[in-house]
Order: sequence, then structure tokens, then C-alpha cells
Amino acid sequence: MAPTRFLPGLAVLCLGAVFARAIELTVGFNHLLVAIALGFVLANGVGVPDRLEPGLATHKLWLGAGIVLMGASLTLETVLEVGGLVLLVVVCVTSFTILVVELLARNVFGLADRLGSLLAAGAGICGVSAVVAVAGAIRAREDHIAYAAATVLLFDAITIVVYPVVGDLLNLSGIVFGVWAGVSMFSTGPVVAVGFAHSEVAGQWATMTKLSRNALIGAVVLAYASYYARSGGGGRPSVRTLWDEFPKFVLGFLALMLLASAGVFSASQLASIENAYSWLFVLAFVGLGTEIRLAELRSTGLMPAVVVLVSLLVASALSLALLTLLL
Amino acid sequence: MSFDRSKLDVTAVYSRWTTLEHDWQSVVVGAVVVAVAGAVRIPW
Repeated sequence: MAPTRFLPGLAVLCLGAVFARAIELTVGFNHLLVAIALGFVLANGVGVPDRLEPGLATHKLWLGAGIVLMGASLTLETVLEVGGLVLLVVVCVTSFTILVVELLARNVFGLADRLGSLLAAGAGICGVSAVVAVAGAIRAREDHIAYAAATVLLFDAITIVVYPVVGDLLNLSGIVFGVWAGVSMFSTGPVVAVGFAHSEVAGQWATMTKLSRNALIGAVVLAYASYYARSGGGGRPSVRTLWDEFPKFVLGFLALMLLASAGVFSASQLASIENAYSWLFVLAFVGLGTEIRLAELRSTGLMPAVVVLVSLLVASALSLALLTLLL
Repeated sequence: MSFDRSKLDVTAVYSRWTTLEHDWQSVVVGAVVVAVAGAVRIPW
């Protein structure tokens, strides 16, 4: 396959990014949310021609690269200051969310076990990536994967709009809003978007919190694989799963954080790196917007959506209360 | 001849790139940007 097939979609991402930035400079709307809105309008209003698809699909690459570069704008001291506390909150809220979704799905709403597990992974860890990773480990049915993925995407779309409004209404500080979004929203892209839409500090903490959560995916996949293997019919669990499912770009993020903490970069280099990740995020969010397809969201089942809604409300309210007290 | 050689190089690099896991591709892009930021001022 020729690399040139990516060019039309990449050109659209670049144009959208420049346009979103221009809107912010002229009208004052947040460029990240404008970027998502542009992608959304393109996908649901005009429609995405086939030749744009390969380039638009690169948005995950730009998001990952932006996160790697963000490591340079943080120092080890900042992370160590409240990092332990945040890690504790991440582990507690993630375990709590998985438990609540599993209990509601199995005991209250009577959903199939595997569908409940996919919803729990999507809500507890990292959205659609977690759904797909766990689906492979437990040999989930195709229709269950589609249901769970659609449910996660539905709540991604809702939380992108609701979280910034709640953050403004409650006048949350950057760190509280960032950690709250990172610990309770679903997919990485929307978390980074609403974080940076609130403030630079919120964006950095939202991303770090979400990365800690994503790093748990290997352990969760392993746990689910073991559980379903014991009950028969599941995939064979292996310790290698931990490494296979680990989000490797976290290593790039950590490497840059260590280099920046060691004073390797000059002030102008750091400014350039920060500008670079800002551009990469806008590019990524234009592409992210094109992934929100109304037609697919309509295919979400009512019961899975109710299960995830209840768990999101509980986890979100509890984590916000906890963070307001602790930070 | 030299054009053919450079085309071969690009093809080889692209082939290696496509075999990389997505997460590692992000790390490579990040490393390239850091290298560029060392030499050029990136505006916002």
C-alpha cells in the first residue's frame, strides 16, 4: 500500500487544525473543542469520502505522539508531589467502576456475562481499546463487542460536552478537574481534550491520570482471561499479556519527563516541544471528531447504556468528592 | 539510478514503519519532533 494514500486525509486534518486555531484566535472558542466539532460535522453532515479515511485514521498516532511530547513539559518533582495520591485514587476508582458495572450488568439488568465484562473494561480502563483487548482475551461475541464499543463511544460524546460545563459551574481547580476527568471519563482522546480545554494544568493532570489508568489494562485483561479460562471457553492467560497490552507510548512519555527533569532541554526547545504537542493534539482531535458517528451511536442498546450511565454517575460523583477533599 | 536507490530506501523505511506497533510509532514521531525542536523553533 502506497504511503501517498494517507495524504488527502492528512491534508484535511491539517486544514481543520489551522481552522480551529484561527477560530480560537478570532472568536475565542477553545480550539480543541472546535477541532472535535469540525470532525463531527464533517463525518455526520457532509460524510467522509473513502479516500480520506486512511489519513483521518492516523489521529491516534498524533494523539500518542502528543502525549509522548507532553512528558517534556512535566518534571519528576511535580509528579512525585501528588502522584502517589492520584495513583491510589486511580486504582480505587477503576476497581470500583469495574465492580459496579459487573454487579449491575449481571445481577440487576441481567446482561450476558461477557457483555458485562466488556462494558466494565470500557468504563473502568480506556474505552474502546480496553473493550477490544478484553474481547480478545475472553472470546466475546461480535455483537457484544459492537454493543460495548458503541456504548463507550456514546458516553465519550456526552462527557466531552458535559464535563467542561460541570467543571466551570463548580469552578474546579486545574488539578482537581484534570484528575477527575482522567479518572472517570472513558477514552484517552476525550480526556485530553476536555483537560486542555479547561487549562494547561488540567490537561497535564488529566493525561497523566489517564495514562496511569491505561497502564492497568494488562492486569485487567489478564484477570478477565484467567476468570473466563477457569469457567471454560476463554483464552489462555499469559504473563506476556501484561506487556502486550501495556500502552508503550507511556515509556516515551516517561523518558521525556526524565530528560526534562535532568535539564537536558533549553527553554526555547521546551517551548517548541510544547507548541508541537499542541498542534499534534488539534490534529488528533479533528480526526477524533470524525469517529463520532451518530448512526453508530443509535445502535447502542438501552440496557448497556443504562448500566454504564449509572456506574459513570456513581464513579464520577464519588471521585469528585474524594478529589475535592484530598487535593 | 540514484532515483531508484532513494525510492528503494523510502520503501524500506516505510516497510519497517508499518511493522512497528502503533504505540511505538507514536514514540518515533515524538522522537523526530524532539530532534526537529532542537534545531527549529516551532510556532503556535
